Amino acid sequence: MAEYAKYVDVTKCDGCRACMVSCKNWNDLPAEPEDFQGSNQSHAKVTANTWNVLSFIEHENASGNLEYLFRHSACFHCKEAACVKVCPEDAMHYSELGTVVVNDEKCVGCGYCVQNCPFDVVSLATYKDKHGKEYKKAQKCTLCTDRIEEGMQPACISVCHTGAMEFGDRDKMIQKAEKRLAEIKGKFPNAVVYNPPGVGGTQTIYVLAEKPSVYGLPENPKVPTSAVVWKDYAQPIGKMMLGATTMAVIGAYISNKIFYKEDEGDGGHE
Amino acid sequence: MSKAKKSTLQVRRFSMAFVIAHAVNAFAFFALYVTALPMYTEFFDWLYPVLGGPENARLLHRIFAVLFMTPTFIWVIFDPKGFKRWLKELVTWKKRDLEFFTEFVKELFGFKFKHVRQTFFNAGEKINSFIQIITALIVIGSGFTLWFPELFPKFLVQWGYFLHNVGFGLAIAVVVGHIYLSVVHRHSSPGYSGVVTGKVPAWWAKGHYPDWYDEEVEKGNFPDIDHNGNPKGKKGA
Repeated sequence: MAEYAKYVDVTKCDGCRACMVSCKNWNDLPAEPEDFQGSNQSHAKVTANTWNVLSFIEHENASGNLEYLFRHSACFHCKEAACVKVCPEDAMHYSELGTVVVNDEKCVGCGYCVQNCPFDVVSLATYKDKHGKEYKKAQKCTLCTDRIEEGMQPACISVCHTGAMEFGDRDKMIQKAEKRLAEIKGKFPNAVVYNPPGVGGTQTIYVLAEKPSVYGLPENPKVPTSAVVWKDYAQPIGKMMLGATTMAVIGAYISNKIFYKEDEGDGGHE
Repeated sequence: MSKAKKSTLQVRRFSMAFVIAHAVNAFAFFALYVTALPMYTEFFDWLYPVLGGPENARLLHRIFAVLFMTPTFIWVIFDPKGFKRWLKELVTWKKRDLEFFTEFVKELFGFKFKHVRQTFFNAGEKINSFIQIITALIVIGSGFTLWFPELFPKFLVQWGYFLHNVGFGLAIAVVVGHIYLSVVHRHSSPGYSGVVTGKVPAWWAKGHYPDWYDEEVEKGNFPDIDHNGNPKGKKGA
């Protein structure tokens, strides 16, 4: 199956926030009243009910001038996603399109994904069941998997009026990003294409005007080492050890039945 | 597998404080195990409805977590002497402790073994104690980071998952052996009453922990017995 990606050229973004509105609208997400963030930014970061946030960064560039940097921020849809790795219920999974999505039926709201996401994107939403009892589910951007499956563009991209975002074949989007990078290097010498290899590459390909850290992004994000040793080693070895000691005691029991002689044990207790 | 001719004479091995601490520890351990099992293996997802849903399972896990931290305090507060003896035994290692293990393996599988004199706790019990102390510290320590992630740096929370998993995996593996030896194994199971009533058969205590038994005889606490548990020089008693 072809791989898709969301292309985001932050240098073309004018900060209109239509992507945020469109996302809320399509995904039927409730409004979240927020305190003043100290800038034009509406929310501190993405949340369980606000799947994309336009971040406004006031940055002093090398020549001492103010640079007003905008970035459409949402789930990166990592190719090797830490959230998928740590999910104990297989709720966080890769869709057929390769997007990272939550299966609400399976999610138990444990929050392992929340703590292990290298981009701090996943959060738990609190709901109430019909008895008034609260329960939690992990929520985040789905890359509008439901729309893509119907042959539509993700909601955020469909409304972008400056052409800062595009959706399509992943390789083409990477090429487009590289081409765009060459165009803007003169104006933004620190510009980079952000497609971090530590998480197997992402399905959001960014053209950033400045270093990732300027945007509050990790320079070298990766699946936490702790998550790898936990899920790939500790858990299977732990299960094997329990099996091993269980086998040992069963072996001991059987062996006693076969080899034990009454008189030998007499007075020989340790 | 005590024989008919063994005496029923019993001696006190553990204080009631220890018995209670041990019972609380065992109950909390398994309650924690069951309430977290569906998180460990999807195979046990059917436990969620039994436990009242994931939210409730997490709440129960936290309640039992608090309970799991109490046994040490129960023992220290109500039986400081017994607790001190345990610590002292744990740091005392002699040649006989190493000899114990080669004989133990033979004994475990039902082969002919020889008698290695032990003190209050044998070398195997000391190893079990060490593993449970270490794993309890790991599990409790990492439990705090998982319960209150907002109070700790992110890397500690992330490593907390790993440590919680390792600590519990090691503990449960050892517990299987511990329980087998206490309730099934023919030579050690007579001592099982030690964690229920605090008392054990005198012949078994003398056979397993001769140094300790002789010491108590010298102090005048225990009667001197033959290897069937009958007091020497007297009949019955």
